[in-house]
Amino acid sequence: MKYLKLIILLTLISLTGCRIDYDIEEVAPPEHLGETHEHDHTQTGIEDHQDHVPDDAEVCPVCGEIHDQEHVREHDSTGISGSDRHVHEAGVRNHGTGWFFNQPWAARFIWNKMIRDSVILLFLAAIVLLVSLYRLRKKR
Amino acid sequence: MKPVMTFALMTLRNLLRRRTIWGISIVILLALFGIGQIPGYGISNEGRFILDFGFFGLEIGALLLAIGLAANIYPRDKEQKTVMPLIAVPLSRGQYLMGRFIGAAMVQAAAMLVGCIGLMVILLLNGLNIPADLFPATCLLLVEGWFLLAVVFFFSFWTSPPLNAPLTVLLFILSQMSVSGFISILPGAQGFMRFLRLLLPHMDVFHIKDPIAHGVGIPFVYFLLATLYGLAYMAFMLSLALAVFRSRDLK
Repeated sequence: MKYLKLIILLTLISLTGCRIDYDIEEVAPPEHLGETHEHDHTQTGIEDHQDHVPDDAEVCPVCGEIHDQEHVREHDSTGISGSDRHVHEAGVRNHGTGWFFNQPWAARFIWNKMIRDSVILLFLAAIVLLVSLYRLRKKR
Repeated sequence: MKPVMTFALMTLRNLLRRRTIWGISIVILLALFGIGQIPGYGISNEGRFILDFGFFGLEIGALLLAIGLAANIYPRDKEQKTVMPLIAVPLSRGQYLMGRFIGAAMVQAAAMLVGCIGLMVILLLNGLNIPADLFPATCLLLVEGWFLLAVVFFFSFWTSPPLNAPLTVLLFILSQMSVSGFISILPGAQGFMRFLRLLLPHMDVFHIKDPIAHGVGIPFVYFLLATLYGLAYMAFMLSLALAVFRSRDLK
């Protein structure tokens, strides 16, 4: 019995590729991790934004809106300057809020795994109880 | 079931007579009061800080309560030799454990309820709205507390009370870690560390303070799932505790 326990333990230890337990980021589908806000000004800043401003009243290929010089001035009036100058829609996942949406309540795709873990634990609890009861009766 | 409930009520009365529970409850309320005094500095949504710190205070309170309530129960029964007559005739070892556990769990539930009401009062005194999910969030922290209570019972059957507290705190800290963070403790043994982490619960399942503080709604089904998850871990720890207790020679 002792050897059996040891073998089971060693097998589990040697399973280096064991992925039963995981972080949400490890198993998240791309649509969960993907940014919903593609209009990224992070690296380019306002100068780059000016690059995609078409000649007057043309649809911008990046954000799909009609841009003109007035639009650029509007962006400029936010008071944020430098490479940090960009705005995200509130309440959606972006590079700054990833941690928020990587919590279990927000990651629906792991909810079924929570049920799986619960069922396995209840099953293990029942086995532990039965084995300990059997050993107690055997001892008597 | 009747002997278990009778014994649980007896445990409840015994625990309420101790100073520990009152001391910890007062500390929780004082901490919540202190959190309520944090100045807003003119920041909008100051209530987020109060909620965030408040829930953190309740979680730490649940940990302290678990240790304060359960770490001494079995060692004291053994020292005073009250455990022998109890399990000799009226109760089996399983009924003894369940009676003690349910009694302590009831005290913990009452203390957490008081903490939740305290947090509501502090929000009201600061002129802030009480989020609809405040009570369910406290219930999840209570489930976490019950799991910790089961852990303390488990340790109390084979360690001394001074060792029980640090072991429980260690398990509490490790259970807060992500899998990658846990593996980084010993990167050379990734499989082993993954296996060890598998045995510990993901405490972040019980943490919904961030969405509540930011006004994000939580689906009701999530509360049910998280409760099931916590109760399953609690049942597993209790079964381990009972297995250890059954193997102990009390003579």
